[in-house]
Amino acid sequence: MRPILLAGHERSLNQIKFNRDGDLLFSVAKDKIVCAWWSANGERLGTYSGHLGAIWTVDVSPNTVLLATGSADNSVRLWNVKTGECVKVWEFPTAVKRVEFSPDGSKVLAVTEKRMGFLGTIAVLDINYDGDFTNQAEEPSLRITCTESKATVAGWSYLGKYIIAGHEDGSVSQYDAKTGEQLENVQAHEFDHQINDLQFSPDRTHFLTASKDKSAKLMSSRNLAILKTYVADTPLNSAAITPKKEYVILGGGQAAMDVTTTSARQGKFEARFYHKVFEDEIGRVKGHFGPLNTIHVHPAGTAYASGGEDGYVRVHHFDKPYFDFMYEVEREQLRR
Amino acid sequence: MSRPTKADWADDEEFDDPSALPPQQITTNKDGTKTVVSYRFNDEGKKVKVTRRIKTTVVREHVNPQVAERRTWAKFGLEKGHAAGPSFDTTSVGENIVFRPSVNWKAQAAEAEKNGGEKGSIKDQLKDKKVKCRICSGEHFTARCPFKDTMAPVDEPGAGGAEGGAAAGEDAAGGLGAGGGSYVPPHLRKGAAGGGERMAGKYEKDDLATLRVTNVSELAEEQELRDLFERFGRVTRVFLARDRETQRAKGFAFISFADRSDAARACDKMDGFGYRHLILRVEFAKRAT
Repeated sequence: MRPILLAGHERSLNQIKFNRDGDLLFSVAKDKIVCAWWSANGERLGTYSGHLGAIWTVDVSPNTVLLATGSADNSVRLWNVKTGECVKVWEFPTAVKRVEFSPDGSKVLAVTEKRMGFLGTIAVLDINYDGDFTNQAEEPSLRITCTESKATVAGWSYLGKYIIAGHEDGSVSQYDAKTGEQLENVQAHEFDHQINDLQFSPDRTHFLTASKDKSAKLMSSRNLAILKTYVADTPLNSAAITPKKEYVILGGGQAAMDVTTTSARQGKFEARFYHKVFEDEIGRVKGHFGPLNTIHVHPAGTAYASGGEDGYVRVHHFDKPYFDFMYEVEREQLRR
Repeated sequence: MSRPTKADWADDEEFDDPSALPPQQITTNKDGTKTVVSYRFNDEGKKVKVTRRIKTTVVREHVNPQVAERRTWAKFGLEKGHAAGPSFDTTSVGENIVFRPSVNWKAQAAEAEKNGGEKGSIKDQLKDKKVKCRICSGEHFTARCPFKDTMAPVDEPGAGGAEGGAAAGEDAAGGLGAGGGSYVPPHLRKGAAGGGERMAGKYEKDDLATLRVTNVSELAEEQELRDLFERFGRVTRVFLARDRETQRAKGFAFISFADRSDAARACDKMDGFGYRHLILRVEFAKRAT
């Protein structure tokens, strides 16, 4: 497979996201613009400019009409995907590290940083799709305050029933999405090893966490049971579940601050593929010159994209061997 | 008028223009393919007939109407007004990556690396290479060749006679064409104008009758040297090397004679001559390379 290299950003990537149909790819980096790309050929559709700081996170509504971004300039912005206009700005007291649309697109959660005396919070914003999208509610409809350890990542479980959050101390908690009440808290990863990414399976019944403790865990949304553990030899920044084939992709590498002291070879800047069920590592894809900060898989499972500290997004469309690979037991089952 | 039918040659419709090309012909074959015959000029200016058979297949693809609608969106932001299609400054295609998922991928990768490593080792690469001298083709390095000082490398320009005179050497070198793989400096290439300009210019031909005088006093003067050597024959040039800053003699000089026999005599007599408390050493100047 020949990856498509997207060089639209001048600084390291923070998050990339395919839309639900997989035809568009959105990327945000430490430079203040959001890029929208056609995933098939890497053509840039446009850019969204307006943020005044590094953009930490991006998400697109399920109908690809609105785009939400969270930035270090303490704001969440809502954009019209088609025209690139900013339709709404929500100001927060601290930086916003993660935004995510609920499965039905009616809400957006925003994870805010713990800083300057403010505790980390998860705010839920209601989204209105009427008219020119500028008529949005000012105040969050729900605010969850993380008193123990700040949330670093969060997402919606199946049907938007729970909000699942990963914390700085390596724990994962489950909140009721209606009331904001904490239902569960599980120390999934080693204590004090931050959870850097949390991505759901297509049906959102389970999710994958990536942590600094060099492992990724597959967990159930319903009761936060740890289903599988994938062990890597490097701190992980991102982890994604692939639809169509039962794999997971992990990405990481030496922390950005240590990169200058290690060669690319030692840096382990590769995307690692594990079998989701058997937990075996089945291959690696090289390419980036720096740690992988973010990975996202095409919703149809035909491609994945990775964004690195090196400022590049690489879009890989899988070829035949990827789809052909099967364990012997899988083949036997198929024959029967 | 004798020929009223042809009024003027310029009006002749059948005027045969050599640059005109026959029109393109398209014929549809029975099996649904098309044959296109067109003509063009190739690089040499010759007319070329190009026959292409084209088979058209219609591939129908069902696309989500929303996706199809999005394909019509105009570019915006930094891309506003740019033409359709990926732009070269943002999008490129990387090297092909062979990705075959496998349970024992680690062993395979290690093996591949080992093979790559063997190829990469210079020592292994050179294991069955023989050392060959460029001067005498013997089995030693050129720098160790016993004929290093007396012979030039065999396949270098001017190899025939290092002592054989500049003019002869140049003729031989001038004859060297583009043949042979080794590098030929521009001024030695065939067709280069007269071998180019030499730095030494007009003094060059005097080299054979030039003496190098060393152990010359710092206080020596050119005129004094000229007087000393004039006794043996006509001196055409006296060059006394001086320090750029202090203008004092550096301790060596070149004396060119009109006649080589005079120079030989001077060399013989003046070697060991006491001059300003120093004993001169006189020898024939070696040709600068």
